[in-house]
Amino acid sequence: MADSNPSPRADFLWALAWIAVGAAIFVGGFTMDRLERQNINPYTAPGLVPALLGIGLAALGVFLLARSVRRGGLAAAAVGRAPAGIGRLALALGLCVLYAGGLVGRTLLGWHVPFWFATALFVFVAILAFEWPDRRARGELRRGIVVAAACAVGTAAGVTLVFQEVFLVRLP
Amino acid sequence: MLDGLVLFGRALAGFADPLTLLIIAGACLLGILIGALPGLTATMGVALLTTLTLKMPSDRALLVLVCSYVGAIYGGSRSAILLNIPGTPANAAACLDGHALAQAGLAGRAIGISTTGSVMGTLIGMFFLAVATPWLGEVALKFGAYEFFWLALFGVIISGNLTGNDPLKGWLAGFVGLFIACIGQDPIHAYERFAFDNRDLAGGFQLIPALVGAFGFAEVLTVLAAKTPKPVIHRFDTPLPRIGDVLKHWRTILRSGVIGTFIGVVPGVGEDVASWSSYAAARRASKEPEKYGKGSVEGLMAAETGDNACVPGAIIPVLALAVPGSAPAAVLMAAMIIHGVQPGPLIMVNNPQFVFDVVAMMLYATIGILFFGLALVKPLLKVLQVPREIIMPIVFVLCVIGSYAISQRLFDVWTMLGFGVVGYVLRRYNYPMAPFVLGIVLGDLLDKNLRRGLVLSDGDLTPFFFRPISATLAAICLVTILMNFAAVRRAAHAAYVALTPWRRAA
Repeated sequence: MADSNPSPRADFLWALAWIAVGAAIFVGGFTMDRLERQNINPYTAPGLVPALLGIGLAALGVFLLARSVRRGGLAAAAVGRAPAGIGRLALALGLCVLYAGGLVGRTLLGWHVPFWFATALFVFVAILAFEWPDRRARGELRRGIVVAAACAVGTAAGVTLVFQEVFLVRLP
Repeated sequence: MLDGLVLFGRALAGFADPLTLLIIAGACLLGILIGALPGLTATMGVALLTTLTLKMPSDRALLVLVCSYVGAIYGGSRSAILLNIPGTPANAAACLDGHALAQAGLAGRAIGISTTGSVMGTLIGMFFLAVATPWLGEVALKFGAYEFFWLALFGVIISGNLTGNDPLKGWLAGFVGLFIACIGQDPIHAYERFAFDNRDLAGGFQLIPALVGAFGFAEVLTVLAAKTPKPVIHRFDTPLPRIGDVLKHWRTILRSGVIGTFIGVVPGVGEDVASWSSYAAARRASKEPEKYGKGSVEGLMAAETGDNACVPGAIIPVLALAVPGSAPAAVLMAAMIIHGVQPGPLIMVNNPQFVFDVVAMMLYATIGILFFGLALVKPLLKVLQVPREIIMPIVFVLCVIGSYAISQRLFDVWTMLGFGVVGYVLRRYNYPMAPFVLGIVLGDLLDKNLRRGLVLSDGDLTPFFFRPISATLAAICLVTILMNFAAVRRAAHAAYVALTPWRRAA
């Protein structure tokens, strides 16, 4: 799962990002309103802790930068193939964001997409898409469609029933 | 002591009605299933169940969460033994010997050993939970703003140091978590920080959607991105534990239980470190270290005792200090707060019954895992064979609706999505999640107490470094950081050898 040994180049780029983020947080904290008009104790200024955290983050970024440079992080990255599973990752991310961000609670073409419909559609498409290669190879496409449809209906009905009727949640 | 026993007895009796026992059984079974399925971790399970139990009475909701937490850490050993895939990170050490036993046709015996170890570990941890929480609560009453500031920093630094394999990245993750906790209204003046005039952001990020994203959605992405082959299950013998295994390894059980509990108490470290530490200690003390990794009963017993002992251990600082000992304990703490329980130093003063309620929950959870762990071996095998491609989309639906259900606003769904993507990317580049979560949980404590401390001392930093408890915590933080430098380690070792002449002679 985790890339247990990211390249020094990746660490180098991450370090630059951390230094930039740390600096931005420090500036944000330092320039934050100190509420002098309200006569507050200056040690309780709201920006104090974020500014200190920004310094800490940038300092750790500098350590990471130094370490990555020592390990060869300045060398140009080798042009390689895309990491394994990138297509499946893109598919998973796309489907999940489309469902949670694009369908749930949205009104499309003047029609408020009901939660149960969005859920059933997502579960059906996701299961079918990820099982498609194996099912096709085994000649079980029809069975795959039935399984995906059953899971979709079951999930949509179960989640809607439990959250709407039992927990009294107004579904999006 | 007697008061504690009375409270414990009252708690046991309070949970002994048929409906509650049914809920305990369901929660333990659900926890075991969550743990057994690779990709569903204990943190994710407890976070999702927090959203599912929102409308339940608080005692029952927390009972479900504790039972599922214990069940998930135990359940992870099932896939470790049978599939060589740890169900949760806590069960990685169990793969080494558990799967070797399964390959030798002793899967049933391995399941029996892991069940025995988990039960014994939970019981040992439960004993310390009952004994140490009141004591730690008493000590914590002496804590002031300075000590709480150091405690929060100590948690992030220790967690960053011990989880993952790169302390620098652990600390970076922890600092990012601390910063995220600063977003929204500040806890002293209610000034909006880093909200960019966004009304939702002004309220800050809610912990549960953030954790559901970082552990749930990130895991969904991880599992779906990798194609998993159909699991192969080895042949089976009886899972009934042998008394001889327990009697022969009583020292290992006791040692692993104590190590697991102690590691649980250390903020943010968690079950995986407890498991590996118990395993390593057992190997060092073993008469047969060469058998480790090749199907050692002792090794499996140590790993499984250690990780389950860590569960009650991780709850000790939650109750006494409001500082979680592990990532699932962080979610549990958030759930306690949602359900109106305020953990922290005053809990033994205001609500001592609750501490012993949790001890009783542990005992019921232990009985649950013992029963289901041994009785439902075959049905659990069927669950392990359900393809991840079917489970994960359903889990994601629960992530979405669970995040939404807390406050019924879509912003929490976006929070879950955002934290999921960030969590996935960070994990891919070896940034551990435990310090990140601990940072989010402890950020408020650090922020308030640093500023309060400065006000109390009128800007003088001396009390931060010269009060006894502050000085101890500050010294541990400093030593933890410095020991990561090779030159400091070499100097410390040289000094140690110089100060111990008998070692030099040896």
